[in-house]
Amino acid sequence: MSGPYHWREGDSVVPAYALTQGRTRSKGRELGLETLVTATEYGHRHEASLQLESHTIVMLTTRPISVAEIGAALNVPIGVARVLVSDLADAGYLTVSLPIGMDENGRPNRQILERLLDGLRSR
Amino acid sequence: MDFAPAEPARTEQNRSPAPGSVPGSAPGSVPGYAPGHAPGSTQNPPRENAAAPIGLKILIAGGFGVGKTTLVGTLSEIPPLRTEALMSELSEGVDHTSLVPGKTTTTVALDFGRITVDEQLILYLFGTPGQDRFWFMWDELARGAVGGIVLVDLRRIDDCFPAIDFFEDRGLPFAIAVNRFPGTPPVPEHEIRAALAISASRPIVQMAATDSRSSLNTLIALVEHSIAG
Repeated sequence: MSGPYHWREGDSVVPAYALTQGRTRSKGRELGLETLVTATEYGHRHEASLQLESHTIVMLTTRPISVAEIGAALNVPIGVARVLVSDLADAGYLTVSLPIGMDENGRPNRQILERLLDGLRSR
Repeated sequence: MDFAPAEPARTEQNRSPAPGSVPGSAPGSVPGYAPGHAPGSTQNPPRENAAAPIGLKILIAGGFGVGKTTLVGTLSEIPPLRTEALMSELSEGVDHTSLVPGKTTTTVALDFGRITVDEQLILYLFGTPGQDRFWFMWDELARGAVGGIVLVDLRRIDDCFPAIDFFEDRGLPFAIAVNRFPGTPPVPEHEIRAALAISASRPIVQMAATDSRSSLNTLIALVEHSIAG
């Protein structure tokens, strides 16, 4: 795994605060609306150096929140939220929770569903 | 109350495939991302998956004005949020034109709510846009979902058929929630099942979208159904 500053082939050389200008593809396409995002320790240490939208995202993600919530909080379309989150994750500011506990069809597996059911029944 | 047509209003024959059907993409690993593990941290080994937070979603579908946003608001622990999606970005296989100046795009508002199930498990409820012309974005919404709730207004049952067709077509678990508006009498379940051409194994809940207990019971019925497969 590369460090926060390690540039890799294919990485954007355009800073995140340029938002999505000039891009015709979102590299955050794989992020679901419900995908959870959490700020890293590195992100909290260095959030002051970030531009407004990115700074806000790092502050919002002290606890896990979804890409959809980030879009709502920033009042930007989901696609823009995805790109911002994706860039911040690549730079080490955020951790993106991978879809885990999924079955072969890409849906939540039985273990996750039973955990969900228990949680709903106890409400 | 005689709402049921003589023939089921919806049959195998008159179903049409939902437009914009595309194969869902399997969840894969994202290079450089790891559950519960910060990129760039070399001090700590990646933790087990159990420690990583999980986001789940359930779709609330149905016709325009049937009570989708009401149901989201009743169930959500936060005031419902609204985010916007540009149509073109939500259509797989179509060039991402939404961010190019001069291209015509349509913005679709998504209302959603949140239930913190436990510290590491968060459920999101997405109200699907009611207009038919936004259907092709549902694939994005449906991907990886626990399932769907189809809200039905018995006075306008036709409105829910597109949602039923969509979930059946995608093989996504769903439950029927008959929203009992004030003043409407209970309806025998077999009549509802016949009118909707719904199989015997499909859960039907008669509920009120304004009532938190019956709304929660609807979610539970869906998850039980999803587990039963």
